Amino acid sequence: MKKFSQLAIPYIVWAVIMLVLPVALIAFYSVTEPGNSIFSFSVTLDHYITFFTDPDFLKILWRSLWIAVKTTLICLLLGYPAAYFISRCGEKLQNALILCITIPMWINMLVRTYAWIGLLTEGGLIQRIVSLFFPGEKELLYTEGAVLLGMVYNFLPFMILQINTSLCKMDGALLEAGSDLGANPAQTFARITLPLSLPGVVNGITLVFLPAVSSFFIPKLLGGGQYFLIGNLIENQFITVGEWNFGSAISMVMAFIMMLLMAVVRKLENRNQGGKEERNL
Amino acid sequence: MKKGKRPLGKILMILLIAFFYLPILYMIVFSFNEGRSLTGFTGFSLRWYKRMLESGTMTEALYTTFSVALIATCISTVVGTISAIGLSKSKKVIRTLMEQVDNLPMMNPEIVTAIGFMLLFITFRVDKGYLTMLLAHIAFCIPYVILSVMPKIRSLDPNVADAAMDLGATPWQAMTKVIIPQITPGIVAGALIAFTMSVDDFIISYFAAGGGVKNLSMVVYTMSKRVNPSINAASTLMVVIITVVLILVNVIPAIAAKRKASDEVKKRKVFLPAAAVIAAVVILLLFRPGADGGKRPYEGQTLHIYTWGEYTGENIIGNFEEETGARVILETFDSNEQMYIKVANGESFDILVPSDYMIQRLIGEGYLQKLDPSAMDGLDNLTDAVKNLPYDPGNEYSVPYFWGTVGIIYDKTKVDLEDLEQEGFNIFLDEKYRGDIYLYNSERDSFMMALKALGYSMNTEDPDEIQEAYDWLVRCVQTMDPEIVTDEIIDNMAQGRKALGLIYSGDATYVMSENENMGYYLPETGTNLWSDAMVIPANAENPQLAQEFINYACEYDGAYDNSSFVGYTSANEEVMEVLSGEGGDFEGIDAYLPRTDNDMDEVFEYNEATRKVISNLWSRVLIAFSNAD
Repeated sequence: MKKFSQLAIPYIVWAVIMLVLPVALIAFYSVTEPGNSIFSFSVTLDHYITFFTDPDFLKILWRSLWIAVKTTLICLLLGYPAAYFISRCGEKLQNALILCITIPMWINMLVRTYAWIGLLTEGGLIQRIVSLFFPGEKELLYTEGAVLLGMVYNFLPFMILQINTSLCKMDGALLEAGSDLGANPAQTFARITLPLSLPGVVNGITLVFLPAVSSFFIPKLLGGGQYFLIGNLIENQFITVGEWNFGSAISMVMAFIMMLLMAVVRKLENRNQGGKEERNL
Repeated sequence: MKKGKRPLGKILMILLIAFFYLPILYMIVFSFNEGRSLTGFTGFSLRWYKRMLESGTMTEALYTTFSVALIATCISTVVGTISAIGLSKSKKVIRTLMEQVDNLPMMNPEIVTAIGFMLLFITFRVDKGYLTMLLAHIAFCIPYVILSVMPKIRSLDPNVADAAMDLGATPWQAMTKVIIPQITPGIVAGALIAFTMSVDDFIISYFAAGGGVKNLSMVVYTMSKRVNPSINAASTLMVVIITVVLILVNVIPAIAAKRKASDEVKKRKVFLPAAAVIAAVVILLLFRPGADGGKRPYEGQTLHIYTWGEYTGENIIGNFEEETGARVILETFDSNEQMYIKVANGESFDILVPSDYMIQRLIGEGYLQKLDPSAMDGLDNLTDAVKNLPYDPGNEYSVPYFWGTVGIIYDKTKVDLEDLEQEGFNIFLDEKYRGDIYLYNSERDSFMMALKALGYSMNTEDPDEIQEAYDWLVRCVQTMDPEIVTDEIIDNMAQGRKALGLIYSGDATYVMSENENMGYYLPETGTNLWSDAMVIPANAENPQLAQEFINYACEYDGAYDNSSFVGYTSANEEVMEVLSGEGGDFEGIDAYLPRTDNDMDEVFEYNEATRKVISNLWSRVLIAFSNAD
């Protein structure tokens, strides 16, 4: 219906201004010189060159990616069994457990991260327990471990919920068919459950990895002022140093890396599903 | 399936739930703590709730958080639903293209989206404030609504709407009576996601809001450096609100489902939450905090103050509001540089409280307005040591607020005074104190320390000397394992967590009044003698009210409240004498009275070229430190 399609026009205009233009502006700032306006400017690639020729910046990029990988792995290792357990519970318990995991997500992320400071700081509950087992370990707060903990804490629910959704979508009859045909529980898990839950795993990985790479308040609150991830570097350039053009260039690099990773993940996912269809034929 | 036979799974689940809830419970418990500590519970009290409710910042923040979330949810749900219906009937090219566009805020790292909004608003000179924050929230919420409504529309029979219209329904009727009822679950889900995203948001608000408008996340972020249990109280309140909303959302449909006997209930099911949301918006708009009647000179006006964190007294703002009827919006910064960026971006404030060299820069670049000499009663109360300084001779633009020195705070039980006397600032390179020091995250003060340690002037323009200072700092962060902090140093040194730290004299005063083991040392090689002063920016919206506040802060009562609460040395001569004199709060604390008899002490002078170099080098020092291990 033509009449209905006109309903989208205001939103298309809005989206161009509020969603496309900002990204275009970042791209614009990243290739122009400081102090340029949108009417008179000179194009330069200096900001990108600075970023990629400086080992210090590259090291920060590397560290951000590495800690995101670690976060994702831990979330996967904890999240998969948890999601599996939930999906095997009765319906009522299942709903209750899902609600239990969702409620903290509703509470502001910054507030939840802030709450860890009291636990980890010297004399805090966790710090005291840890120092019972490892005397001499005085510092928990403002370490890389604290940052990793904060990330796992914030992002683990995404992983559990995604995997759980795809496990619940699975047809229970498939499992019965598998065991009727003589597969033992390990085989049914490896041949049926795991492959069918992969889309959830992939979604979970993206939902954990993406925010983990770019996070900047978790490292700032739990890692202290001296702990730099790529997100902190960007914040620093915009808020304290005032080098927007360089900051924009770093943002573009980060957005590009993300897009690339996402494309790879999607491709793998598609190939996986394509392969299955072939087998089904 | 055998039930109840998965002990490992159960243990994991219990541990995970403990993991998820422990910090939240801990936070709630400590919001009722009588003491200020976040580690030891000393007794039950509601004082932090009282504090929170009295502090305008917190209640404002809660109000902002929820009002933005509600308005953004309503608008984005309506717009998102209509657009999704429209898009579903559009040409395929447009549809796929718009899907890609919608993906931008979801697939891009959040900080990139946030910076995009910031650049958008600044490039097109939209004043950052409540409205920009709301716009940004709507912008990132709509895609989520569309994403959740779209699949429902797709599963709809495309001929249904046509059939309705063939039977004589207008397009509007076809939409409201036929399409919308069938996609309601998608709309509700979308609205819930939008609400959550908006309440939870920090990064986008942080970059897109301005003008003192803050949501709770931003308040937590800016206040988290000092131990402040009111944050716990505000957070607890938020947890309660969210839990109630969640329970309502989950319980109401369940009850409604039980009662589901006739179709009428179904209709009510949609209208009930809608009515509740509208009611909530109205209530929020009506009960905007801080609106009360009365006839006072500045009734209903607002004063935007942009100052350092923890830099005003306990009562001065409240008293000023009481007396004048104006509403004060207090925004805080961590460094002069951070403040400068906002001012240079055209954000409007009525009063700034920058340091000497920054005032010089702001005057030079035309960002300040001259004060009205006839209205300047306050200046006479101030001590001569802070008047007529080279950054603003004759005090045409600025009225001093606090002043002091930068020195070394040290734990007398851990640090040998002899070491300090021999080494001065070089004690920060003494391996004896490795892992036991705080540095201050400020380019100006760090380079001052390094240059003075090397025996140079802190105002040097010589590139070799600056390079040497840079090497000194890099060596310090690489070999001494310091912690680089800002205001965190205050509570941590008061608790004696480290042996040494670079500190402002005012913070030292507070630390020493809390912990008598602490001492303050000023190296003989000189230090920075600084002063911070109140100025009125050229683009201030209410300079007259600003002038009023400046005088208020110079008078005895205001100045006393500021100085006694914060610990920084007052520019008001009488206050300074009373507080440091017999029976005063800071009697016997040498950090309170700035040193004025050392020729090596200097006042910082602004120099654009060196500033850039130093600013870049300092972020390089931080990066070098971050990469050290």
